[in-house]
Amino acid sequence: MTVFKTFWLIVKRYRAMIFIYTILLILFGVINTTNNDTSLDFTDSKPDVYLVIEDENIGLTKNLVDYISRQANIIDSLSVDGLDDALFYREVNYIITIPKNYRSDVLNGLSPSLVIKSTGDYQASLAEMILKRYLKTQEVLISSFRNEEELIQKINESLEHKTEVLVTSKLDSATLNQVTQYFNFASFSIMAIIIFIVSIVLSSFHDFKVSQRIYVSKMKRNTHNRYILMASFLYSLIVFVLFSILGLILFPNVLLSFRGILYFLNAFMFTFVSLSLSLLISKLVTNKEAVSGIVNVVALGSAFLCGAFVPIEYLPKSVLRIAHVLPSYWYIKGNEFLKLTEAFNKDSFLILLENFLVLLLFGVFFLFFNHQVTRLKEKKN
Amino acid sequence: MFWHNFKYSCKVLFRNKVLLFWTFLFPILLGTFFKMAFSDIEKNESLSIINLAIIQSEDFIQNEVMHESLLSLSKEGENQLFDISYVNNSEAQDLLSKEEISGYLDFFGDEVRIVVNRSGIYETIIRFVIDEIQSQKKLIETLIQKRVNEEIEKGNYEVEIGNILREVKENVLSQSVTLVNSSSKNMSYTMIEYYTLIAMACLYSSMISMYITNYKLANMKSVGKRIVVSPSHKISGLFGSLFASYFVGAIGLVLLFLYSIFALKVDYGTTLFPVIILASVGLLAGILFGVSVSVLVRSSEQTKTGVLVAISMFGSFLSGMMGITMKYMIDTNVPILNLINPVAMITDGLYSLYYYESFSQFTFNIVSLLCFSVFMILLSFRGLRRQKYDSL
Repeated sequence: MTVFKTFWLIVKRYRAMIFIYTILLILFGVINTTNNDTSLDFTDSKPDVYLVIEDENIGLTKNLVDYISRQANIIDSLSVDGLDDALFYREVNYIITIPKNYRSDVLNGLSPSLVIKSTGDYQASLAEMILKRYLKTQEVLISSFRNEEELIQKINESLEHKTEVLVTSKLDSATLNQVTQYFNFASFSIMAIIIFIVSIVLSSFHDFKVSQRIYVSKMKRNTHNRYILMASFLYSLIVFVLFSILGLILFPNVLLSFRGILYFLNAFMFTFVSLSLSLLISKLVTNKEAVSGIVNVVALGSAFLCGAFVPIEYLPKSVLRIAHVLPSYWYIKGNEFLKLTEAFNKDSFLILLENFLVLLLFGVFFLFFNHQVTRLKEKKN
Repeated sequence: MFWHNFKYSCKVLFRNKVLLFWTFLFPILLGTFFKMAFSDIEKNESLSIINLAIIQSEDFIQNEVMHESLLSLSKEGENQLFDISYVNNSEAQDLLSKEEISGYLDFFGDEVRIVVNRSGIYETIIRFVIDEIQSQKKLIETLIQKRVNEEIEKGNYEVEIGNILREVKENVLSQSVTLVNSSSKNMSYTMIEYYTLIAMACLYSSMISMYITNYKLANMKSVGKRIVVSPSHKISGLFGSLFASYFVGAIGLVLLFLYSIFALKVDYGTTLFPVIILASVGLLAGILFGVSVSVLVRSSEQTKTGVLVAISMFGSFLSGMMGITMKYMIDTNVPILNLINPVAMITDGLYSLYYYESFSQFTFNIVSLLCFSVFMILLSFRGLRRQKYDSL
């Protein structure tokens, strides 16, 4: 039991590290939950637009402003000096400047140019489509309708059409997206916490003088190893339970369901792989100072390459091909599959089973490799 | 004395592999991860061709305006918006369930229904385009009605509807709108991630100076005890070591710059000279920050490293390393935080060189970094001057 207790004594010394990674995960989860658009009906995406109105806001100018306000989210909390920064940081997608005398110029048959600034992303493209649609309609109608009121009425009549949209999916995709992002990010926290702590603790036991004392003690080597394994497993289990409870607090509706159980099962499989990897790393790296570097390379590398930080659909195909050799990829792939699966049937279970099997194989491979390294080291000793 | 200290400090620093990992290799590795993860993110955020299916039916063929408009929007070229598959009902459902299309169109009579999996930007654009085509129909009807009324008012009761329709259609379809785009060409926000990386590397150099300054402190190393009792000139020795720290840090930074320019293709704006000045001043701030932590924090080397890493990482977080929104949020809501944050000063300087044409922000950042450096020197000297030992 001394070995078991010593394990926890060393864990306690590094509790700040566990705390930091847990806080990171909570922060990530909470920031994600700020988007509460969970409607099952179709809702139009709206770009963020800032309007600089230099003309008097009446008549045609007001109609343009009203139209943009209906089609986009008008951002009005920015100062004019900070507009360029806001555009760069994507606080606003599109800036439209309505010039002075815009209304009178349109009515006089002139075609005043609107100055725009755009981020160039798809939200900005949508904003441009919205603006161009209005201006094009106005340009076509102005030659036939010179009276301002009539022109406004005809513009609005032409633009009022809304096509029916049928949404087939009955999934609450916004919440499922948040849950998936939480579990994807958790891959980084789980891996970093488990590898860091287990490797640090075990490297303390692998210290030359300490291992010499262990060798000469009356405790059998197998019993010692069993205690170490038990403590490591218990520690990993606590990490898994802690992150699962946090997930349950943040997303109770989704996670208290059959889909939720599958998310937890996937996370449990990943915890097992992280544990087996950390046992292997602790066997290969005995220098405590190097552990922190190894954790950063392995955990950060896996997180960046497999889609824990950046959504998997945004990753280049070449990167995803490389990611196939990392366990995080299969774990995240499982989460993404759970996000999109409409109903669970034989086919979907087979796909999930394949993912679990790959994770299990990773775990077994790391344990086997660890066993071989241990045997080699013992022979050498 | 200066060169003697410089030489041996360089030797000591280059022998510390863990220190070299954190200051040389870690920023390069992190930059590589950034490149791999972010290289496609902006490309994916720009509008690409949308996969759409249309259920082939008589109603669709009869709907001339819709038919022609969708055909022109799916023509290969610069303005192509859709890649259209003409399918039957079950094929359309199958394609949608496999997420191979963003949606499909089902025509019935004059109307059309859009079927999608979920709400989203591409789905919104499909609806928007279909709405626009329907609006054009309405517009054509309005204009024809107007023209017919005008002809009747003129007393011309034999109106050529075909000619009017052709004219109006041509007028509506050929109408184009020109906007004056005054956006900056440099809009790549992922550059901020790389700028925070350079800034983080400057601040990580503080670990080098902290490590070497510990050799001058009697409460940290036995070498420090020997230096304290020796009759050598302390300031000259310290400067030698600090110069060595700057030299080693500069090598790491040059390697990172070369890697970021040639391998990661980071854009630092039009001129490299101000970037070099900013990095040099940033490195100086980092080195002096390490000295002051080494002198002021009276604890083990591990704790000092922890303090430096924690402050550097927190500064990088506030500067947008873990998401650029954070930097903007701090700049607009708590600007004082980034005004005293050296990582933000360097990041902001690089950002202003990339995004703005004027040098005012850059100059402000250089002055801020110099002020920070002077403050660190004052703190360090104050700490060093007060060190007195009754016994060693």
